[in-house]
Amino acid sequence: MGEPVELLQGILEVLVLKAVSLGPLHGYGILLRIQQISGNRLEIPQGSFYPALYRLEHQGWIEGEWGESENNRKAKFYRLTAAGKRRFKSETEKWTEMTDVVGTILAATLAKP
Amino acid sequence: MRMIARFRSWWDAIVHRARVDSDVENELQFHMDAYTQDLVHSGVPLEEAARRAKVEFGQVHVQKEKYRAAIGLEPWHELGGDIRYGLRSLWKNPGFSAVAILSLALGIGATTAMFSLVYAVLIHPFPYAGADRIMNPVLVDQERPQQYRWFAMTAPQFQTFSRAKSLDGLLGFTNVNMEMTGDELPEDVSLIYVTENAQAFFGVPALLGRGIQPSDSAEGVSQSNVAVLNYGFWRRHYGGDPGIVGRNIQLDHKNYSIVGVMPRSFAFTGAMDSGDIYLPRSLLRDGISPQVTRPWTPWIKLKPGISVAAADAELQAVLKQFAKEKFPPYPKHFHIQLQPILLARAQGSGSTLLLLFSAVLVLLLVGCLNCSILLLARGEARAHELAVRSAIGASRWRILRQLLVEALTLSFSGALLGVALSWWLVRLPLKLAPDSFPPQSFVWINLPILGFSIGVALLTGLLFGLGPAFRLSRPNVSRTMQSKLRRFGSAAGGRTLNALISSQIALTLVLLAAAGTAVGAFLQVMNIPLGYDPHNVMGLGIVMHWNNPRDWDGIKSQRDRATFIEQLRQKIVSSPGVLSVSVGVDATPPYSGDEYVFETLGKGSAQEERARIHRISPNYFSTLKIPLLRGRLWDQTENMHGDSVAIINQSMARHYWPSQSAIGQQIRIPSLKNNWPLIATSPDSGGWRQVIGVVADARDDGLAGPVAPAIYVPYPTFMEPIAQFQIRTQGEPLALLHSVRTAIASVSSDQQVSNGAFDLEDSLTRDPDWSRQRLFSILFAFFSGVALVLALVGLFSVVSYVVVQRTTEFGIRIALGAPRRHILWISARAAALSVSIGVALGLLINLFLVKLLTRWMNSTGHTSGALLYVTLLLIVCAFFACLLPARRAVFIHPIEALRYE
Repeated sequence: MGEPVELLQGILEVLVLKAVSLGPLHGYGILLRIQQISGNRLEIPQGSFYPALYRLEHQGWIEGEWGESENNRKAKFYRLTAAGKRRFKSETEKWTEMTDVVGTILAATLAKP
Repeated sequence: MRMIARFRSWWDAIVHRARVDSDVENELQFHMDAYTQDLVHSGVPLEEAARRAKVEFGQVHVQKEKYRAAIGLEPWHELGGDIRYGLRSLWKNPGFSAVAILSLALGIGATTAMFSLVYAVLIHPFPYAGADRIMNPVLVDQERPQQYRWFAMTAPQFQTFSRAKSLDGLLGFTNVNMEMTGDELPEDVSLIYVTENAQAFFGVPALLGRGIQPSDSAEGVSQSNVAVLNYGFWRRHYGGDPGIVGRNIQLDHKNYSIVGVMPRSFAFTGAMDSGDIYLPRSLLRDGISPQVTRPWTPWIKLKPGISVAAADAELQAVLKQFAKEKFPPYPKHFHIQLQPILLARAQGSGSTLLLLFSAVLVLLLVGCLNCSILLLARGEARAHELAVRSAIGASRWRILRQLLVEALTLSFSGALLGVALSWWLVRLPLKLAPDSFPPQSFVWINLPILGFSIGVALLTGLLFGLGPAFRLSRPNVSRTMQSKLRRFGSAAGGRTLNALISSQIALTLVLLAAAGTAVGAFLQVMNIPLGYDPHNVMGLGIVMHWNNPRDWDGIKSQRDRATFIEQLRQKIVSSPGVLSVSVGVDATPPYSGDEYVFETLGKGSAQEERARIHRISPNYFSTLKIPLLRGRLWDQTENMHGDSVAIINQSMARHYWPSQSAIGQQIRIPSLKNNWPLIATSPDSGGWRQVIGVVADARDDGLAGPVAPAIYVPYPTFMEPIAQFQIRTQGEPLALLHSVRTAIASVSSDQQVSNGAFDLEDSLTRDPDWSRQRLFSILFAFFSGVALVLALVGLFSVVSYVVVQRTTEFGIRIALGAPRRHILWISARAAALSVSIGVALGLLINLFLVKLLTRWMNSTGHTSGALLYVTLLLIVCAFFACLLPARRAVFIHPIEALRYE
């Protein structure tokens, strides 16, 4: 396990959408899931995590609802809305294309002397 | 969908703020607890785990701010904070806030009141649909182009006219006086017969019942006598009875069914008067004996998009055709002119309102300057607070914004109070000069007006807040923090303050000078010699019943009519309390006489000579106490005869016979010969008359202008079926109205007295010139008084501020032996200099304004005296406003002053 990867602007939101797309989760759960999927290689800044959630909810991509947590406490569960699903899809495509392009460029640069 | 989500989160954050806050808090708490638990599971001790969770997340309330920032509400939230902060600081400085808010409230209140008046009178005076397309067609006689003529049409002509292509609608009306019968004494009412399209033409729904509509026409279905009441008449005569519709009203012994009441805003001011009752045209019959064709006066509504010029051209052709018919007569060379109904109003009240509006704008400006001065003076004292804010990281924009928000808080508080004030203020002009404004202009604070005052508040807030805010938002942190230096003041702040003071003083002087002019002009009108004595004199008129064949027989011949009038006169004299009664047709001052051309025997008429013709009985002069200067009056026999004699006034004698005696000259007035069936004339009414006497001048052309040349002739020489009396009484004249009416009814039981019997003294105060001058002088005196007080408060606070700011310095000076007189002088020096500059500036502005003002206010007198007085007043007041706070500096104790920090 190397040094934690720093998060690029805007990526946190796609990651949250991904985490929620697998099923409703509360905030802490989303954080854990992202860390778990990334194999704890991602350092998520606590200060910007909740604002990202708030923004996504404000945009109508995720929807929060109060429910019971696994240890019987009141927690706010987020799930993806229809608009959120579309957004997630388009963002994923954009991201894939982006990494593809960036990867190609980087590879090309390496090939030249 | 996404929009909805956004609005929902905004809505929740604003409206359900507490719930959203607790949600954010709960969510975070849950997160921290879960995190702590996980840490504990992984072996961290509980206390250490809780501490770490807290460190990572920080304060809970910071999270709430983050939430608002995330959904984009942060600026609003901060603004709310600024407003709350502003309100708190206003609350903590009640003296400052009260003065600032009051000076704005007075300015904004006066401006709002004036604007609502302008709105009601000029912008939106008529409730009619398409009022801007409604035109009043008038004839212009090309030989006398300055005189407009109403023009009227016969019924068939009216039909032809209505087919013109450029017309969207054509309304015809005829004014008729009738009597309301059925009560003890007959009462005069003014009727307006309107064509049955009236309701559609005006588009004004009736207040109760309905208006005149097509079914009321001769071919229509309702076919009964219907009447619609004017609002004022309904209030006056029926006490505003809401159950009036369906009841009957008796006019000339015939019953009419009341079908509606028009709203207050509908006053139909196109006619000579607004009318008490509106009747459908089908009820109006032409006279048979005497044979009278009732003409119709038109109002037209142009089709949308038709230009006035195009309509002019089309209608001109139609009228040329009418002119070939004998009746009604047209001038030889004429053209038609379409006057928008809005225009007449604009000419009448426009300049008055414009003048008052400029006055309130100046007042508003003085109020704004006052606030700027107060803000600056206080701002210097707040420099420390602002420096601290700046030092701990507030951006310039943030400070600027806060200062502006505080200014706007002030201006909106002022506006709130001002609108409340304007509620009362707006009624003042209407109360003081009711005849200067159209009768339907009753003023209401409505949406456009409210919008206006909000706009004014915003503008004034920026106006007086921006300057100080820019200056104060750049605090010199290091200098201010080293607080020992604080008490020596800054030169730049002083310069701005001085400039503000100078402009304020200058504007105040301009207002004061205008008030001086207004009051001077009013005094001049009030003290004008009338030439007659209006005290305890009543004017009263009757319209004879020529449309009733039986009554007509009694007044048909000249002799019978004169006898009838003489009988009425004698009956009135014999009622108790009456001292003397004269007949004077068109002869009640201060506006009297019809202007006619006259000729002088033996004098070639190079140009037309005109004089005002008064038709009177010989005791007219004694009743009004107009002295006979030379010659004699005609006697009773000559009076009934009517011909061969005339009396002139002194102006006429001086003007036409300056070097010889007017007595014995022969003059004649051709227009007194007339064949119209309703008019009875003496055999030689248009013939030569000898001037037998000269009387002193009495006002006949209003109060403002000079007395016009006047000719007095015996009334029986030319009689319309009307008569007017001047009745001198022992006491209050109108108290005798009932007994006078009884006396008249005893001669002819149906003879009513025209509406508007009046006290000659009262009518003077309702004279447009008189009431306009009074309005100007009262309002200007009020406005300038307010401005003066504001300016003095500004001055006072600036000098006080200088004294407080320089306490330490003064203390040192006194300790070093400076004489008190010197201290007094240096504390007031800057302010005194600004006042002098302001006075000079004000006098300069006044120099440019004085011509404009005298013309607008219609004053002819010299105003330099008034200017001198108000300048002195301003200087004396300013002197005390400087001296009082400056005296405090003299009594500074050196030791205490140095300990003052």
